[in-house]
Amino acid sequence: MSQAVRGQKVHKRPIGKSLALHAALIVASFIAVFPILWILLSSFKPKQWIQSDEITLVKEPTLANYSNLLGNTDFLRWFWNSTIIAAFTMIIGIAMAASAGYAISRFNFPGKRPLMWTFLVTQMFPVAILIVPIYSIMASLELINTPTSLVIAYCTVAVPFCTWMLKGYFDTIPAEIDEAGRVDGLGPFGTFWRLILPLARPGLAVTAFYTFLTAWGEVAYASAFLNTNDQFTLAYGLQTFVPRPPALPLWDLLTPAAVLITIPAGIVFFFAQKHLVAGLTAGGTKS
Amino acid sequence: MRRALGSVAAASALALALAACGGSDTPTAQSTPTTQAVDPATVKADLTWWDTSDATNEAPEFKKLIAQFNKTYPNVHVNYQSVPFGEAQNKFKNAAKAKSGAPDILRADVGWVSEFASLGYLYNLDDTELVKDQQDFLPVPLASTKFNGKTYGVPQVTDSLALMYNKKLLQQAGVQPPKTWDEMVTASATIKQKTGKDGTFLNPAGYYLLPFIYGEGGDLVDAQQKKIVVNAPEAVAGSKKAAELVKKPGFTKPPATDAYNAMMTAFKSGKVAMIVNGPWELNNIKSADGFGGLDNLGLTTVPAGTKKSGSPVGGHDYVVWSGMPREKAAAAIAFIKFMTSADTEAQVANDIGLLPPRASAYAKVTNPVIAEFKPMMDSGVGRAWIPEAGQLFAPMDEAATKIMVQGVDAQTALDGVAKTYKSEVVPDYAGG
Amino acid sequence: MTTVTEAVTPPARPSKGRGRRASSSRTSLRTAVGRHWYAWAMVTPVVVVLAILVLYPMVQAIWLSLTNTTEANQAEQICQLSLGGGQVCTPNPNHAHFVGLDNYVKLLTGQIGRFWSQFGITLIWTFACVIFHYTIGLGLAMLLNRPLRGRSVYRIVLILPWAVPAFVSAFAWKFIFDRDAGLINKLLGSTNDWFDSTPKALTAVIIVNVWLGVPFMMVAILGGLQSIPAELYEAASIDGATAWQRFTNVTLPGLRSVSATIILLGTIWTFNMFPIIYIVSRGGPAGGTEILVTGAFKEAFEGIRNYSIAATYGVLILSVLIAYSVGYRYFLRKQGEVW
Repeated sequence: MSQAVRGQKVHKRPIGKSLALHAALIVASFIAVFPILWILLSSFKPKQWIQSDEITLVKEPTLANYSNLLGNTDFLRWFWNSTIIAAFTMIIGIAMAASAGYAISRFNFPGKRPLMWTFLVTQMFPVAILIVPIYSIMASLELINTPTSLVIAYCTVAVPFCTWMLKGYFDTIPAEIDEAGRVDGLGPFGTFWRLILPLARPGLAVTAFYTFLTAWGEVAYASAFLNTNDQFTLAYGLQTFVPRPPALPLWDLLTPAAVLITIPAGIVFFFAQKHLVAGLTAGGTKS
Repeated sequence: MRRALGSVAAASALALALAACGGSDTPTAQSTPTTQAVDPATVKADLTWWDTSDATNEAPEFKKLIAQFNKTYPNVHVNYQSVPFGEAQNKFKNAAKAKSGAPDILRADVGWVSEFASLGYLYNLDDTELVKDQQDFLPVPLASTKFNGKTYGVPQVTDSLALMYNKKLLQQAGVQPPKTWDEMVTASATIKQKTGKDGTFLNPAGYYLLPFIYGEGGDLVDAQQKKIVVNAPEAVAGSKKAAELVKKPGFTKPPATDAYNAMMTAFKSGKVAMIVNGPWELNNIKSADGFGGLDNLGLTTVPAGTKKSGSPVGGHDYVVWSGMPREKAAAAIAFIKFMTSADTEAQVANDIGLLPPRASAYAKVTNPVIAEFKPMMDSGVGRAWIPEAGQLFAPMDEAATKIMVQGVDAQTALDGVAKTYKSEVVPDYAGG
Repeated sequence: MTTVTEAVTPPARPSKGRGRRASSSRTSLRTAVGRHWYAWAMVTPVVVVLAILVLYPMVQAIWLSLTNTTEANQAEQICQLSLGGGQVCTPNPNHAHFVGLDNYVKLLTGQIGRFWSQFGITLIWTFACVIFHYTIGLGLAMLLNRPLRGRSVYRIVLILPWAVPAFVSAFAWKFIFDRDAGLINKLLGSTNDWFDSTPKALTAVIIVNVWLGVPFMMVAILGGLQSIPAELYEAASIDGATAWQRFTNVTLPGLRSVSATIILLGTIWTFNMFPIIYIVSRGGPAGGTEILVTGAFKEAFEGIRNYSIAATYGVLILSVLIAYSVGYRYFLRKQGEVW
């Protein structure tokens, strides 16, 4: 048993074990993709075949749905809006969460414990119930129908979690590093920025991806705050393809849109996941 | 499209005639309507309109109408926003309450008008040109625009449930479209026997239970008498009928969720011969592969119960947000007047198959399906247009699932609905 | 074994040298500001945003739950404006007023809504979802943390359920579960209606939510696994620990901080998870899969909105979750984790 030591160094694994590992992952991957695969395949079918009770893998494949989506709806505009909002949410959210997480991890300031609790409590009250007063607040700040309103709202969703997560990561970074920074004449902010953040890369990657997706796929706030088609985000714009809830969604528009909306999320994750391995070596050398 | 041109001409003439309406376009438009003609070109405003119609099938038609309107009123800019129907009600209320972000004009479901009006979110239209020819509107859609005797909306489109059938299947089975629920039982059994296809698919939802309840002379609440009647003998008898039907041979057993879509899929693919549904599905049926187009679609009034044939009336009204600056009044009135004129409604009926709420529009409609729907509108039953109307259906939907899918006794289920109405919806009503 | 456990503890312990000194002595406000200003400065942006957008409406809601406010009786007067000119304002005859704990009594005794049955459903829903999320997420993260051919492909494929907007996949799943046209029934060759009884419908919505939520847990745990120093595993191997011992003595303790956070927040989020049930089962059959938050929405937000009842639901949900968090924290403290 002892030959398969965990960690980043490659050890030989018996073939049987390797097969089992791949088999498990393939099964999991299959379960993960099969509803998405259905969406993908459907996006290439002509409208009338998408939701028929006859199940086919491919039937009269066509790109008509895509050209219809890109040509006749505001999809590209929404795509751009979403990109901007998700990017700003990611940057602002991570900045807030990382600084707060670091302060909580390293300093024992008065108000720290209540603050941690506040973060939790803000996640507990159902947003569906708070949407009316939040709308009024946004209205009095004159932010209705602006991307800013959504960036702020998404930060309230993402930051508490990210702060908690990052606090956990910062906790694992040895305090000697802070001391070293202090000896070198760095202030608390300098230590945080120059020494700690680079070491917390896996944590930052996870939380960055999380904030990105929070903003990318959110519907409830977007549907509350946005009024005009030119301001819609992707996720909310897609809702217009589900015109009357008891009736069917417009699958011919919804499926290609869902495919296209997934791609950027995949790309962002691709970059984020590279950092999932990088942090340890840096942390390891120091301890 | 040929008709569209005709309408433009007619609309322009009409617009000239009605330009009188708005008083002046000066900011202090406090005056009552004058009869003095105003040049439409002097009416200037930016109007925002939230349309809740289907963004792919119906929206292009309304955008086209705006362009037509602008030929007469070049200086009224209509900012068209398509809002998903399922969200419009809450969005409008959030915005109206915060006095920020609400549209000047909204296409409101007939069930929302009294609710919005009771909350003070709508302009009362009684002193305007818009109420002048009200007698031309069908009585039930018109009633939906009233709250406390005042007018808050102008009907845009109306609808009602009808019995839709697959002509080919009925022919194969050699049966006539049923006139009563009992005839529907025999017809469905015959269809099953002769064609192997199911006869009828009934949707187990509150709204679709109404024809059964109306058929026995019942209702959910009696707004006049301020009484809860959903568990009265008539409503119970109607619901029992529905429960009895779904168990008969030739009736599809409805699934517990999403029965609506299951029903439409089965009907469109020719797996079931009869359904009860409204005109909003005409476009989908027309384009469905393998149904045979509208030529194969038969339409008739919903089957009658022991008392009558009755089906609920739905539709949409134009309403004006009370937060709209008064200086836009002239433009808003002109726009709504144009959109609800007989010519416009007839054009919409011809192009996308929506039913006009104006009696005089039917004379101008050439779309044959619309003509078939007209008699059904005449047997339409007005719902209780009360502010609480929106809350009546959630408990009814649960009851419909219990009665038609789970086989719970109708009286028990409806007693539960009555209790909810009494404790949460209309506490000052008797009964429950 | 003991060596392993001891080796684990140090890295999980943050040093608080600087902070400890600060809190040990009572200092005047001025010195407190002088000493802590940077910490406070670092948390201020978050605090301001949360206070304005979440805490303030929440406090408002707590007050509303003690009144009988609805959309209809909220305003002191109702104005009817006429488009032709003129305006009539009448005082609202039944203006909202303080009612004490009436709303709580009504909800908890079942005069309004079905609090207790929805609460039961919520508990089943929450715990089932969180347990599957965490265990499956942990398992996959462990597999993906090994050096492995095609690892980044697996990783990307496995996060896809998270990347698709939830409401789209909810519709896709709904279609998969469909009685007549659904893939599952086609494959099984059955005509089983997944939504005609509460246990089946609940199973279906839990499956959908587990599918949706696993990638998040997996990614978070993957990040956590990276912070466990490889030396600990090596030390454990040298001590002759089995794979299972390494898992329980190195991996799990090393993940404790991350796990504590994601389980706690996962529970809170799932408890209030709205869209899945709202779209997939619509709370059916006949309200059988209604959880508290969807129930509250139906009860209070359809038609004339009943703000006070909605707020009461909110406060009750909040209380349950606070109680849970306090218990959870107590449990963690016993394990030696402090926050």
